[in-house]
Amino acid sequence: MAARAQFENSNEVGVFSKLTNSYSLVAVGGSENFYSAFEAELGDVIPIIHTTIAGTRIVGRMTAGNRRGLLVPTQTTDQELLHLRNSIPDTVKIQRIEERLSALGNVICCNDYVALVHPDIERETEEIIADVLGVEVFKQTIAGNVLVGSYCSLSNQGGLVHPQTSIQDQEELSSLLQVPIVAGTVNRGSNVVGAGMVVNDWLAVAGLDTTAPELSVIESIFRLQDNQPDAIGSNLRDTLIETYS
Amino acid sequence: MRIYACHFCSSPVYPGHGITFVRNDAKEFKFCRSKCHKNFKQRRNPRKLKWTKAFRKAAGKELAVDSTLTFAKRRNVPVRYNRELVETTLKAMSRIEEIRQRRERAFYKNRMRGNKERALALDKKLLESHPELLKMREVELRIKEEKRLAREEKQRQEEEEQDEEMDISEEEEEQSEEEEEEQPQTILLKNKRRSKVRF
Repeated sequence: MAARAQFENSNEVGVFSKLTNSYSLVAVGGSENFYSAFEAELGDVIPIIHTTIAGTRIVGRMTAGNRRGLLVPTQTTDQELLHLRNSIPDTVKIQRIEERLSALGNVICCNDYVALVHPDIERETEEIIADVLGVEVFKQTIAGNVLVGSYCSLSNQGGLVHPQTSIQDQEELSSLLQVPIVAGTVNRGSNVVGAGMVVNDWLAVAGLDTTAPELSVIESIFRLQDNQPDAIGSNLRDTLIETYS
Repeated sequence: MRIYACHFCSSPVYPGHGITFVRNDAKEFKFCRSKCHKNFKQRRNPRKLKWTKAFRKAAGKELAVDSTLTFAKRRNVPVRYNRELVETTLKAMSRIEEIRQRRERAFYKNRMRGNKERALALDKKLLESHPELLKMREVELRIKEEKRLAREEKQRQEEEEQDEEMDISEEEEEQSEEEEEEQPQTILLKNKRRSKVRF
């Protein structure tokens, strides 16, 4: 299932929310519309938590997490940390990281098994990531961008990367992550796919501007409607070429 | 609200007080007042300034290594809220504070032990090398006495001026008295000379 949503007139839903297989974080907004988009799909499956991180609403970009753990930056206040701990299931580890690159959502891109991180991240942080999230950590760039979290959207089924990633890089990433990877855009051609959408194994939420072909790429690569990723190759490609030509 | 410790002097920084400096490697320095901030800007080492906690700990003036001091620290892994846990924690906090104070007192006592004897020994040594220090009192007393005599003399002269019409015989008597009074003075002077010789 892929949905479109908007946070206070902004299409960058990946900035204002975080979605994993065992919990979801949503920024505190003026209205509940954005929250409802998540609630409608996941309300009785996983907890959806309203929170701020370090007093800001950009929770998606500040945090990194998966089914097993959640990492928050050093600026996170004690109250926020306690709130998260009290709302998130006990099986999920939560840890505050003292890392210079504090927008963890931008520098870490992970699913439940592997994580791509910014090449400049500290060694200690790398160990904490491996420890808390239970993943294998790789220092990587995506299409020459160091902010892997911004330019990559990853689930256990597949991954969507920056549209200018070369085929060679895609194959390399695909073999590294052991999931199919496709280059694509969200929000009518935006290349920051990490910030433009959130995804877990059952649901993807993209910005309201996302076009139908973009959404169908998302649905097929993340296997949200029992579509095989090969579908992009054959029947979807024609649609895409038609749309953008 | 968190109460931070000043980066420079380690005193508590309450909300609305002090200033925070964020270095470009994202490290935060919190200062309790402009004094600490200014000293930091002058690149002074807090370990070398006597009024900071860092100095006192480094110089062994205060309890530095102790298990009671290890409880207060920033924790990065939160614990789920639990009423019993909070209750025991609050109890433990006051108990630990009690223990800490007791240890601090013991530490101070231990640090000050033997100070009296040491001071006494030092004084004795000083006296041995400078024995004239003991005579200071005598000198003082003598000067005082001289002053007193001078004052009396002056008074008497004034009185004399008033009693000019008095009999000669009385004057003679007074003169004899003066002579008598002058005698101790001369002795004192002798004393002075003798003491000087002795030194």
